[in-house]
Amino acid sequence: MSASRERDALAAEYVLGLLPREDMAAAEELMRDDAAFARLVDEWRGRLAAMDASATPVEAAPSLWSRIAETVRTAVQETPAAAPVRASVRERPRSGSLIRLWESLGFWRGAGLVGALASLVLATGLAIQTQRALRTPVFVAVLVTDANQPAAVVNAFADGRTELVPLNAIAVPEGRALEIWTLWDRQVGPRSVGLIDRARSTRLRLDNLPLGPNQLFEITLEPVGGSPVGRPTGPILMKGLTSQAL
Amino acid sequence: MNHASAATGIDIEADLARCAAGDEAALRRIYDAEAGRMLGVALRLLRRRALAEEAVHDAFVQVWRAARSFDPSRGNGRTWIYAILRHRALNILRDETRSDLSADPVGEEVASDEEDPETVVARLSDADALKRCLQGLEPRRRSAIVLAYVHGLSHGELAGRLSIPLGTIKAWIRRGLLSLKECLG
Repeated sequence: MSASRERDALAAEYVLGLLPREDMAAAEELMRDDAAFARLVDEWRGRLAAMDASATPVEAAPSLWSRIAETVRTAVQETPAAAPVRASVRERPRSGSLIRLWESLGFWRGAGLVGALASLVLATGLAIQTQRALRTPVFVAVLVTDANQPAAVVNAFADGRTELVPLNAIAVPEGRALEIWTLWDRQVGPRSVGLIDRARSTRLRLDNLPLGPNQLFEITLEPVGGSPVGRPTGPILMKGLTSQAL
Repeated sequence: MNHASAATGIDIEADLARCAAGDEAALRRIYDAEAGRMLGVALRLLRRRALAEEAVHDAFVQVWRAARSFDPSRGNGRTWIYAILRHRALNILRDETRSDLSADPVGEEVASDEEDPETVVARLSDADALKRCLQGLEPRRRSAIVLAYVHGLSHGELAGRLSIPLGTIKAWIRRGLLSLKECLG
């Protein structure tokens, strides 16, 4: 198959939904970087769109619009700074948009879909605060505790900046620190990308490390100064995998 | 919801421009016109009501957030919105598959009868070239393309369903896609 047919077939498979997640991310990167490939994708979307139009409409629950409107309003009211995630669960206001966000998380907890869906809700919520294109993360990971509580978010931006935003205070014993790790390849093992004395927002040093979807980020409890062996030694406090932001 | 509104049509491109300017009523108009069908599309992919509603929720939030980046020169507004929805739904589908939550959705509403590919094709408008061109494909290729797009089946699932060796299914579907493109011109 010639290179141009190969690209056309890739665009078609992407639109058809046949690509595994890694290839999907690669195709999306290609769409951003290569206008000709993006056009092939647009063309395939146009060719196949009639199949979506053939779907039988299903009555949506009345609550669906209110949830959408709520999320959208939350997004509009917030400034681009990470205001809503600074307030911890304990401090949450009696009314206002934040509490509703947490309640929607509670809903998903009840549904037993904490990991995947809480990530989606949070990732969506966080992504919305950063309306300007440059401030939109390319990858987002929600780190959850053993008890499946979202405890921190990792945002990776198109310009290479990567930040950790804790959602809750973390008890750090005297003489210990929080070390942040990422793992993209089990052969290579985890690499340290940050060290903080307490839960606070921080830039992560990913400089030349790879970053992609389904990449693990975790925080472990280590001696002050960081793990002496360059590998996690203490207990894992939270962990999560990156997802590609829309 | 008024399903007829989807047929009467709204000016989605104009409403997307209003969304970009922060007009929530424009988002609501799009919702009224499209949410029912979007939920239908998401349900065909995800099979579970709660997941399908989540996909539609996320899609509308994303439409609102990204309305400014919608470029009418790259396609129509409806196609753009459905691309966002499908992207979200496919990601949820992959998460579900990975976490095996989908194995046995007890006590949840599941799309009762999966539409078979021939039904999907039959429902396409006779005036639509896609219908004629799909009908011109070898039946199993037609099924593969429709099942992948409409129900989110993977290469492996398609291989099993259509009794095609996994090693050849990819090239086999690609040939179908390229003939489809030739036919559509």
